[in-house]
Amino acid sequence: MGRNVCVVGVGLSDGPVTPDLSPSQLIAQSFRRALDDAGLATRDIEGLASAGYGGMHEVAVAEYLGLQPHWLDSTSCGGSSFEFHAHHAFRAIEAGDVDTIAIVYGNNQLSASGRTLGTGGGGGRGGMQPPGPMKYEFPTGMTLVGAYAMAAQRHMHEFGTTAEQLASISVQTREHAHRNAGAMYRDLITVDDVLSSRLVADPLHKLDCCVISDGGCAIILTTEERARALAHRPVFVRGGAGGTTHHSIQAMGDMTHTAAAVSGPKAFAEAGIRPSDVDVFCAYDSFTYTVLVTLEDLGFVPKGEGGPFVADGSLRLGGALPTNPDGGGLSNTHPGMRGLYLLCEATRQLRGDAGDSQVEGAEIAVCNGSGGWLSTQGTVVLGTEPR
Amino acid sequence: MTWAETPKWVVPHPNAEDREFWEGARRGELRIQRCSTCGLHQHYPRYLCSHCGADTVAFVTASGNGTVYSFTVIRQNGVPPFNERVPFVIATVDLDEPGARILAAMPTLDPSAARIGMRVQATFRPANDELGFVDFESAE
Repeated sequence: MGRNVCVVGVGLSDGPVTPDLSPSQLIAQSFRRALDDAGLATRDIEGLASAGYGGMHEVAVAEYLGLQPHWLDSTSCGGSSFEFHAHHAFRAIEAGDVDTIAIVYGNNQLSASGRTLGTGGGGGRGGMQPPGPMKYEFPTGMTLVGAYAMAAQRHMHEFGTTAEQLASISVQTREHAHRNAGAMYRDLITVDDVLSSRLVADPLHKLDCCVISDGGCAIILTTEERARALAHRPVFVRGGAGGTTHHSIQAMGDMTHTAAAVSGPKAFAEAGIRPSDVDVFCAYDSFTYTVLVTLEDLGFVPKGEGGPFVADGSLRLGGALPTNPDGGGLSNTHPGMRGLYLLCEATRQLRGDAGDSQVEGAEIAVCNGSGGWLSTQGTVVLGTEPR
Repeated sequence: MTWAETPKWVVPHPNAEDREFWEGARRGELRIQRCSTCGLHQHYPRYLCSHCGADTVAFVTASGNGTVYSFTVIRQNGVPPFNERVPFVIATVDLDEPGARILAAMPTLDPSAARIGMRVQATFRPANDELGFVDFESAE
């Protein structure tokens, strides 16, 4: 085993609605805040990871930020990209290839494209055919929300999961957002509110879907040795793993199991933990079903029992598994991709800096990013102590 | 715009590998690949068998019969012409040919009648003079 690796800086941009900031500016603003949080300077950053929407994205970001990194990761697998980045960065720092890495993301999804992501086609504009295997699905009228809906429908069929149980995920996540002054939606909601919001793609209602926002996020990782000299209590990366099962939803063999069933156990084994050790779960919540299926795949609850588990209030502060205490993508912020926010929130929790949203005594946090159409899963375990 | 009309931005852009799928649909045939090494099928066309990895795949004409693995009702789609067609059912159909699953629209199915496990059969709809789409309808 090599060097221990820590998250030492986190930064969030202004948000969740920033019509005057470009994606690059959102990245730069959150990067600057992460540097300040860590007490580091631009010259300290030797490696850069990012995922975006154009060719050589991470290289353009490096130039914009004034960086000349000698370690790059442009893994781009949707919302889970940033868990892959953190895992790769962990490995590179552990091995001694590089000491200090920044992972950054920013997008003005809402201001540039409105609420089109999910039901508006590739870029929200007609006339563009999607690349890859999506070309076979696009002419049917399928949508991104529809893909998740189809998977949720199958789960309901196999295990008796109900729309009420899925809705309870939104309700509990909104309770978290209610305590977060920066969240996009803060008014408390009920299961009936979710079920009476319009259906977007059966069985998913509008309030089963994440918000669409603007925003940027950045985190900085370095060695334990350097971390010990910095301002904050270090947060240790204890393990990570990723995986993919398909791209387009028609190729998802079993829609009730994701690659988190592989990445989770691998990451937990490396971290030396069991699911019962986890104090905070930062779940990718693009849709309520994303939370339900990954809770099961990661082993927090047996397959098929996620519905009763969430309906029991398990995701609340003080519940069996406090989940997305910042209000998640369902209520707080989701600027196109959200994976990096999971790592940011987990760090805040493990530092004990989360204020009204704090999970008391949190020592182990799990971040699970999901990308595409439940296609890719990346799991990262963080802790207050090294492995 | 109804299902009978296809705006030009929805017409597929075939390549050498998948042209047979789109042209088959125009002729009224569901063309999938069968692997002679493992005997399983796949949709959409690929160079290798996605089940066993062999490069021994060839087009066959599927029966068009299958079973709904899952479905959704699309009630919101911002892209024309789909925004004028909502609500409509989209299903993932396990074809009777082992190994092959296809996602397709079920334009004639009442959304309230959709269910997992229902038996369905392929229907075909022109995209233009050369190319077509595969849809499904209830076979019950």
